[in-house]
Amino acid sequence: MEEMEEAQGGEEERSMSVKDLLKMSLSSLWRRKLRTILTVLGVVIGTASIVVMISLGLGLNKASMEQIEQYGGLTTITVYSNEGGYGYYGGGMAVSVDGSSDSESQEPVRIDDAAIEQFKHMEHVEVASPVLSTWVLLRQGVWENSASIRGMSREALEKMDLDIAEGSLPEEGGELQFFYGNTVITDFYNSKTGQNPFYENYDYENQDNYTLADVDLMNSPMFVIFDTDAYYNSQYGGTDENGAPIPAPKKYMVPACGLMAGKPTEWGENANSILCDVEALKAQLKKVFKGKAIPGQPTSKSGKPYKEIYYNQAYIRVDDMNYVTEVQDQIRALGFQAESNVEWMNQVQEQSRSIQMALGGIGAVSLFVAAIGIANTMMMSIYERTKEIGIMKVLGCDMRAIRNMFLAEAGFIGLIGGTVGLMLSYGISAIINFVTKATYASGISYIPVVLVLLAMIFAVFMGMLAGLFPALRAMRLSALAAIRNE
Amino acid sequence: MAQEREPVIQVKNLYKIYRVGHNKVRALNGVDLEIYRGEFCSIVGTSGSGKSTMLNMLAGLEKPTKGEVIISGEHLERMNENQLVKFRREHVGFIFQSFNLLGTMNAKENVALPLTFRGVPKKVRLDKADKMLDLVGLRRHKTHRPNEMSGGQQQRVGVARALVVDPEIIFADEPTGNLDSNTSAEVMELMKKIVREQNQTLVMVTHDNHLAGFADRIFHIIDGKIVKIEDNWKNREVAEG
Ligand SMILES: Nc1ncnc2c1ncn2[C@@H]1O[C@H](COP(=O)(O)OP(=O)(O)O)[C@@H](O)[C@H]1O
Ligand SMILES: [Mg+2]
Repeated sequence: MEEMEEAQGGEEERSMSVKDLLKMSLSSLWRRKLRTILTVLGVVIGTASIVVMISLGLGLNKASMEQIEQYGGLTTITVYSNEGGYGYYGGGMAVSVDGSSDSESQEPVRIDDAAIEQFKHMEHVEVASPVLSTWVLLRQGVWENSASIRGMSREALEKMDLDIAEGSLPEEGGELQFFYGNTVITDFYNSKTGQNPFYENYDYENQDNYTLADVDLMNSPMFVIFDTDAYYNSQYGGTDENGAPIPAPKKYMVPACGLMAGKPTEWGENANSILCDVEALKAQLKKVFKGKAIPGQPTSKSGKPYKEIYYNQAYIRVDDMNYVTEVQDQIRALGFQAESNVEWMNQVQEQSRSIQMALGGIGAVSLFVAAIGIANTMMMSIYERTKEIGIMKVLGCDMRAIRNMFLAEAGFIGLIGGTVGLMLSYGISAIINFVTKATYASGISYIPVVLVLLAMIFAVFMGMLAGLFPALRAMRLSALAAIRNE
Repeated sequence: MAQEREPVIQVKNLYKIYRVGHNKVRALNGVDLEIYRGEFCSIVGTSGSGKSTMLNMLAGLEKPTKGEVIISGEHLERMNENQLVKFRREHVGFIFQSFNLLGTMNAKENVALPLTFRGVPKKVRLDKADKMLDLVGLRRHKTHRPNEMSGGQQQRVGVARALVVDPEIIFADEPTGNLDSNTSAEVMELMKKIVREQNQTLVMVTHDNHLAGFADRIFHIIDGKIVKIEDNWKNREVAEG
């Protein structure tokens, strides 16, 4: 007999299988259905509140980041000229571009080709392009659009990774060509009625249901009026200094070279831009405003225009967002104004972190209460089952198996509560997003997969932690006390 | 004949002293005994004489104050609780006075329970439990819960549960204490029969001299001391021979 027992196998085979252990845990939970449900309910509420709260923090953060993305991402710096002398930009900081002493510190610092070269040679600068923009009036039939066009270097246009739906990028030099952003078409209005069909018919419930002006950007000719002052003056019967009526300015036909990909409702970095080659634009402006001051260009102290065309801005892209501040500082040291989204983002992230902490804290309190509930339920269960535990011990159940059985029970409560809590979270999140749809299109409550996994692990872990003390207590219960006849 | 057989249980100079307030209760007061393989022994004495204490000590449920308990060559008094659990699992079956079946399980599941703790697969353990219930004559009550059975039937389940793991030694503490005399006799015969067939060792505690008489040897215990050992073995040999 002894030999037979020995032959039955080693240590491993002698203890309870995991499957049986889990089954016993589940069946004892099942036996006390009502109590199990109530305890699980605590975990459900705890999990749901912590997940929903964190999802709100994440959603807010995501919404802000998307907004930042729309406004040019995190690696771009916009450089402005510093007209100086008016004290609106820290006055004394301005240094002349050519690096001469700052005795004449009020000298304006403007963006010209030399400045662009300087930017290009800074470390971590990937793209540095001049930006020359001017307001023009676009006309096609009755449709008009008062828009800003943006001339940039071909190199920059290429490196901006624009999504091209049709055509190509503007050619370098040569004739002026327009590359239209995908939302430009929504800005055309009927010049007779003054109505914009896109905004008149905007559907807040379903953004994909839109009406557009009857404009063909690619294939029909687009007439462009550069001298908009003269145009409006002639329209409204203005006169020149001699009292003679101002003639309507010349219209130029500018061909389209390409369209950006995307729906007219889709916002993006350059979605609303009309891009062109900066050299072509310069040539065009010089041609249009021959002998006159180009609108928006600086003039000398005596009011005369300069020979050179200065750029309004410089577009700079840095290879890594971590260097944005560094490059920005270098540019500022040259006397320019430089702005990026990094400061904004830091602010947003700090803000959303503290919101997340506060919201998560509220959720954590309810989960903590749930943990106390689990511990309480397990303790009660152990008191009730003292005899059962004793019998199991006498019948040869491992101490570890008993502990694990109770840990598994607590873990199951966490698991079930966590699962149901997550489902509930998705429901609540959907409701919140539905209610706030008008303000936050992409949702204010955001539950990423990582959060689901973390919440799940956390719920189970918390259940087991809450069950640890009761489980150890069950393990140490005296078998003898249990089987003694009362 | 008896001397030739190997002792499966050896107790040497065993003491168990309980402290109750300032008083000391000597539940066991220097016990020496040897029980041989295949024997059916009973320990008989009045209430409070130390029978249960004796049995608990033999089963490793309680630590002795002094002395040695050697079972199958292993010293129980030197084991920690984990080792004792393992020891019980490998060598010992238990029959309780109050049956101690799990109320949430039916007869078959109750009998299969000790096998669960030994990692026996479900099908195998239910098969074994089935056979065991046949053996104790509960063919028609296999799916009954304890509260759907009489005391006698419940104790048969208890016996089946103790025997299903093929233990070397079976301990029974007043196994018929909650049964009427007819049923008691039936259960006694049943235990005796199965144990005999499988050459197992049975140690039974009772306060009833008549029931004690079913055993091969009877240890009389008074105030924690063995005062007399009756040997029925010889009588039986004569009867059989
Ligand atoms: N846990 C205990 N604490 C104190 N005294 C005990 C304890 N267990 C048993 N005793 C005492 O030991 C003596 C023997 O008890 P026990 O072995 O249960 O007797 P029996 O089973 O023969 O009726 C009794 O006097 C009893 O009061
Ligand atoms: Mg007793």
